[in-house]
Amino acid sequence: MIFNIINDWFKGTNKLERFWLLAKIEYKLRYYENTLGLLWALVKPISEIFIYYVAFELILKQEIPNFVSFLFLGLILWNFFVESSTGTIQILATKKYLYEYTNMNKMEIYLSVIGSNLIGMGFNFLMFLAYYLLFNSGTYISWHVIFFIPIILNLIILSLAFSLILSNIYLIAKDIQQVWAIVVGLAFWISPLLFKLDILRARLPGVDYINPISSIVINARRIILENTLPEWDLFFWGFIYSGFFLFIGIYLLNKLGSKAAEKL
Amino acid sequence: MNYQNEQNNAITARNISKVFHIFEDSQNTVKQRLFNLFNTPHAKEIYALKPMDLDIKKGECLGLIGRNGSGKSTLVRLLAKVYPTDTGYIKVQGTTMLMNIGVGMSHELTARENIYISGSVLGLKIKEIDALFDAIIEFAELKEFVDTKIKYFSSGMLARLAFSIAVNVRADVMFLDEIFAVGDVKFQEKAIKIFEKSWIEEKTVVLISHNMDVIKNYCQRVAYIKKGNLEYIGNPEIAIEMYLKENHEVA
Repeated sequence: MIFNIINDWFKGTNKLERFWLLAKIEYKLRYYENTLGLLWALVKPISEIFIYYVAFELILKQEIPNFVSFLFLGLILWNFFVESSTGTIQILATKKYLYEYTNMNKMEIYLSVIGSNLIGMGFNFLMFLAYYLLFNSGTYISWHVIFFIPIILNLIILSLAFSLILSNIYLIAKDIQQVWAIVVGLAFWISPLLFKLDILRARLPGVDYINPISSIVINARRIILENTLPEWDLFFWGFIYSGFFLFIGIYLLNKLGSKAAEKL
Repeated sequence: MNYQNEQNNAITARNISKVFHIFEDSQNTVKQRLFNLFNTPHAKEIYALKPMDLDIKKGECLGLIGRNGSGKSTLVRLLAKVYPTDTGYIKVQGTTMLMNIGVGMSHELTARENIYISGSVLGLKIKEIDALFDAIIEFAELKEFVDTKIKYFSSGMLARLAFSIAVNVRADVMFLDEIFAVGDVKFQEKAIKIFEKSWIEEKTVVLISHNMDVIKNYCQRVAYIKKGNLEYIGNPEIAIEMYLKENHEVA
């Protein structure tokens, strides 16, 4: 089943071009349609950083070094996950025009949206690097940064998996959106995004293994902010965990998504 | 049907059928589904297509006729792989494109973007679309509206754009569902001319129409469908006669 999809994916000759075209147009639709345009892409993380900085550093005094960078990096990754999962629940409805009249592989639609979100995350990451290196004294980027590539890959697998799962469940249960909003809320607050890792681990042992976004955030911070190697057991667990969800997602796409044209 | 013959087919369908399940009380939410976990809803089964085999040869124009609700559109959607089939299998060589009132365009995008997306979905490279672009716009008579979102287009403009994309950016197999009802009389004449000139020759086309003159003019073979059953496929005269006879019976 998976082999068939991958085989089908590579057989076409213009698929990369099409992926880029769809991702570009998706990106344009999202940011260039407003008057503030690309600025919005930055306003969101900056306003979030401001709120959490006031709450967790000024009021609760967690005393995490370089707290703004700590938040910024985590939120970039988290927002990518949320945009790719929550933001795509209705993808089979909004992108129906792509598969309603042709035999286009639906997986391409999902990948192009992920691609568009990657462009957005890329810009945010550049802003983060500029801030991190210019405004924090004594910070530098070490060779450990190469592990950022597999960590992003893990994030892509996880986001694609939930994008597939949610959008296909949407075909049979429209209120999955509300249910998912609660799950996302839980996943945000019970994660290392805002808290000092030691405290979180002491109070809620095992939570870094249950919440699939945790391993990604923890290891990204280790390699970029702490210049150390990833925690290997979390690193590999992240891949196994998100791979498992991707398997469910592909199963649902074949089971439910194949009937999307007649159900929507 | 042996392997040699299947090689010449654009589409090979074996034992395909389709049943639609229409639920009387819709269960569209997580809540409803949980509350009714052990209470399966009553579903009405509608046999849209009864099991059939079908071969569409490369380069032929196959006509598809039958009364409203006979299953023509469902069959076309199965063959174009837009709907999955319940039984059997369908082998398609190349890309397919289904065209009725539209050809799959997003109303949030401009004419330009829709042309590029449609072209790309049908397997063209960006350079190939660049080369076709002006011809598409010119044929659709939309020169001043290239960068206008198509949600602001009139229905005539939309239809012209769709037709022009379909004419210029061809898929390997085209399914045309009553396409000659597009635009004003002048555009229809233009459409028929281009259809005759460059479309029908050596292209695989499945043509649905209630207009028997159109079917007679263009189709080498005709399939006649009655209540989801493939009653006959072959000689256009015979198929049309069967269809007209059914119409008279009803009248």
